[in-house]
Amino acid sequence: MSAPVLSLRSVTKRFGATLALDAMSLDLFPGEVHAIVGENGAGKSTMIKTMTGIHRPTSGMVEIDGDPVTLTGPHDARDLGVTAMYQEPMVFPDLDVAENIFISKTDEGLLQRPADLRRRAADLTARIGMRLDLDRLASQLTLAEQQAVEIARALSQDVRVLIMDEPTAALSAHEAEQLRAVAVRLARQGVAVVYISHRLEEIFEIADRVTVIRDGQHISTRPIADVTSETMIAEMVGREVDHFFEHVPSKARAETVLEVRGLAREGVFEDISFDLHAGEILCMAGLIGARRTDVALALFGIAPATSGSIRYKGSPFSPPSPRAAIAAGIAYVSEDRRKLGLAMPMSIRANITLAKLSDVLSPSGFLRRRREIEIARAFRERLNIRAADVETAVENLSGGNQQKVMLAKWLTVKPDLLIFDEPTRGIDVGAKAEVHQLIRDFVADGGAALVISSDLPEVMAMGDRIAVMREGRLMDILDNAEATQERVIALATGQAPMQEAS
Amino acid sequence: MRLIDRMGPQTLRLLALLIVLALVLGFFATQIPNYLNGRLFNRISSAVAIMALIACGQTLVILTRNIDLSVGSIVGFVAYATGMMIHQFPDMHPLLLVAFSMLLGGAFGAVNGVLVAYARVPAIIVTLGTMAIFRSMLVELADGSSINTSMLPTWLVNFPNQQLFVLGDLQFRAGFVTALAVVVVAHVALARLRPARKLYAVGSNPEAAEMAGINTRATVFWAFVLAGALTGLAGFMFLARFGNITVVAGLGFELQSVAAAVVGGVNIFGGSGLVLGAFLGAVLVNVIDTSLVRWQLVTEFWREAVLGALILTSVAVDQVVMRRLTRLRRAGRSATPGASARPAPGASAPALGGSSAPHGAHGSSASPGATGSARSGSANKGSDRQEGQR
Repeated sequence: MSAPVLSLRSVTKRFGATLALDAMSLDLFPGEVHAIVGENGAGKSTMIKTMTGIHRPTSGMVEIDGDPVTLTGPHDARDLGVTAMYQEPMVFPDLDVAENIFISKTDEGLLQRPADLRRRAADLTARIGMRLDLDRLASQLTLAEQQAVEIARALSQDVRVLIMDEPTAALSAHEAEQLRAVAVRLARQGVAVVYISHRLEEIFEIADRVTVIRDGQHISTRPIADVTSETMIAEMVGREVDHFFEHVPSKARAETVLEVRGLAREGVFEDISFDLHAGEILCMAGLIGARRTDVALALFGIAPATSGSIRYKGSPFSPPSPRAAIAAGIAYVSEDRRKLGLAMPMSIRANITLAKLSDVLSPSGFLRRRREIEIARAFRERLNIRAADVETAVENLSGGNQQKVMLAKWLTVKPDLLIFDEPTRGIDVGAKAEVHQLIRDFVADGGAALVISSDLPEVMAMGDRIAVMREGRLMDILDNAEATQERVIALATGQAPMQEAS
Repeated sequence: MRLIDRMGPQTLRLLALLIVLALVLGFFATQIPNYLNGRLFNRISSAVAIMALIACGQTLVILTRNIDLSVGSIVGFVAYATGMMIHQFPDMHPLLLVAFSMLLGGAFGAVNGVLVAYARVPAIIVTLGTMAIFRSMLVELADGSSINTSMLPTWLVNFPNQQLFVLGDLQFRAGFVTALAVVVVAHVALARLRPARKLYAVGSNPEAAEMAGINTRATVFWAFVLAGALTGLAGFMFLARFGNITVVAGLGFELQSVAAAVVGGVNIFGGSGLVLGAFLGAVLVNVIDTSLVRWQLVTEFWREAVLGALILTSVAVDQVVMRRLTRLRRAGRSATPGASARPAPGASAPALGGSSAPHGAHGSSASPGATGSARSGSANKGSDRQEGQR
């Protein structure tokens, strides 16, 4: 094997009292895809940030080609060929694709020649196998296209180490597939690719070696052939996780909570019909763009349907607004917890009590702080929200714990129907299992849950029944027993025909 | 391909502004007798000559997601100091005097820039503070007296009204032509110079700019310095046009300049907008302002309210026109093959077989998910912070 491009030598990073990286050592070789796995909070982000110069190690050093380097910022790292891309693509929404690609190139001269820029941008996008409209503004691109822009930007600067941090978390199966192909292609061209993902199946598909880290420490680095998902998960969480992705038999009851018939919103989705019973989890599977969220928004009164009918708890129901939906006992946990779900700088306490302030108001209209704290503490206990105390700002929590805070907020309204949009996107396996359990507990108490998820293993594990959508149409509803991942994918991608009124 | 298909959204925005401007002029032409004539042009062009420069500077700052509320005070101070300078040294070369005013303005801008970019104080607070401080400095400098025309050389007083050329009824005077030239140069520079594109990058997504290796602090700093210099030049023009400078010179210009930029389509949240747009915005606001004075229907007391309402209306109409134009263009585009992004054949995913990009149309349709996704990048500032801070 050739010499490593980039190495961490016993790198330690402290933030105040917190030890984020503990004597971490790692070698990255050209031409290989090196997967790094670990739970949220294991130190992956901090590690990346020391590689890209955003953080400086408290002790230890970063070496490039065997020479110690001091990186003072992303600018330095880029000059040395080290680039990172994140789950949220770092694009400039107001600039066009070509400009986005070349924005960080430094030796471009003063004058920008659009025609020349476009030609070279086309070369780069061809190299990663994507065809993009180079005149389009980045704000008009899909997430996958934005990520392609970021990769092209890295290539514009002779990238030697490309760090991909959860690049596929928000992509549809097809887009993720494409992105993985790009990662492999770049590795074959001699780039050292660092690939971070919570989707273990991706890692088995493309990684050459896997490093597991936990609590800021290096646990193991092995060739992919020597690991199984069980050993990997065990090392990540430091304990055995049993029955991780196993379906628990349905506890559905006879009473129907929701009856949807021929629901449509013009130009968005059409002819959606399904029932949802108390005690049941109905999963909605499909590719991104299948309009699953739009159906949820219609049920929640944000973007009401234009035709069709909804019966909720036995009577006709068409919520004109989220307020009405909430009053009727429907909660919608958004997929975008940062934008639509949580007040990030506010405390856990304030976020949890936000949805039902009437519970914590005194008769004179003042907030009863002590009652608030009580409620928040109870939920922290119940949902196992890991934080020093309930006054911690939500932005300082890991993704999994943020998700739990959001769930707690909606549980305060004591909903009968919980719509959960991408409940575990971007959170680690341990927290995933906990969130799953919380949803199961919710339905076990007689609630009904509609779970939208793009994560197939999750759909298979959670869904008592699985509704598959494609381009605004409901393709079929499968019982968990008859559903297979292959079958769901086939329906979601249109490889299998739509079922007539099942 | 039709002409409209080749226009970028920004060019469409300019077109929309011109249409709104024409509508406003048309409206007042029906209300005010003998309205559209050379005098109107002169009146508006000389007022715009000053405001256009300030709005241009304001645009540079707003593009980076900041704001400069101290421009009014800078105009006042520079106008006064430049007047004193030429009074003391009457033989000073005109260009040297211009350079003096721009340097002085740039120095004020540098103060703002350091505080905003390096001390990391929000721009609205910094410039609210410096607005008061610079104004007080002017009061101190003036010490109860004022500059008047008799203290200024004739070349300076005559400069703005010097007639350069005439188009039909319209006289093009030196002040206006100078401002227009500066605006055009700034416009082209912002569109074509790489360092200037960084202003857009920083305002569009500051975090991404940092990650992309752009020196965001220096970019913001220079935006304030350049804005200060352009405002300094406006101070020079102010002195030349009015001749009489008191401590209240330039009062209220900060709001007018922000209004001009925003009416002109500069995104108040940074990242997009054109200098020509801000220029047209300045023209539009001024046309409304000047015309209201002559509109008999509106009494003096209501003028401010009507001005505000008209500005709001034109922004709204502008939005509608803009949307119409965009739709017109989209209709043309979707007929063009290759306009929407799709994966190249070689990259199609094996597992999904012949499924040709399951939602290929998704990217080109105006679905909220697709267009909203990029903006969310900036809203998700905490995204990779969580692990490090735990």
